[in-house]
Amino acid sequence: MELFVDSDVVVSSLISKTGAAYLLLHTDSVTPIISSLSQKEIEIVIERLHLERKDFEKLLKARLKKINISSTHKQIQSTFGKYVLDPYDAHIVMGAVQTKVRFLITYNLRHFKIDKMKQDHKIIVVTPGQFLQYVRSLR
Amino acid sequence: MFSQANIAKVYTPEQVAEMLQLSKNTVYDLISRGEIIAKKLGKVYRIPASSLSFMFTGVDADLYAAEKVDRKNLVLVNQALAYARKKI
Repeated sequence: MELFVDSDVVVSSLISKTGAAYLLLHTDSVTPIISSLSQKEIEIVIERLHLERKDFEKLLKARLKKINISSTHKQIQSTFGKYVLDPYDAHIVMGAVQTKVRFLITYNLRHFKIDKMKQDHKIIVVTPGQFLQYVRSLR
Repeated sequence: MFSQANIAKVYTPEQVAEMLQLSKNTVYDLISRGEIIAKKLGKVYRIPASSLSFMFTGVDADLYAAEKVDRKNLVLVNQALAYARKKI
């Protein structure tokens, strides 16, 4: 199952191997997706928080699928800004919509207008733990 | 030996049946299958609140604990992300 993951989830997985983000990104039955813009911001965060860049490169190669976003911020915000509280988060929604996933995984549920996303794009916004709970319910 | 705060809340299978809106037999069945972890004391069962984590937190106890690990650093991660999003 493909999911779009917010950058906070990817960064969290690099910080701790016992957290839900790490568990999610290393679950065999899921394919986590990020965008080229997510990659850029994750790399900045890695540098700022003094995390290991090679851990991210390894994760990207082994577990993540990456899509390219070539639109400008202005284009992204004008189309997807209505789904977020902070216009700088709009590219995450764009990634989820573009990849046609059913789930967007984030720790920041309050940053997204989750009812509107569900209504307009049938995308469910959940935390890593909530998604893993859903996976368990399928067994 | 134990302070009141250290004693975990426990429930009877009957209480759990009511809370989960299940029959008593279903709760005993879930206990025997290991889906609800209970302690057998003589002939009766007691179920700790941690076995019912889903009811209180929306996720199983291990997933709740795993999210808690990530949430410890979330403020820092969000601050760094807010900075990064303005730079890209």
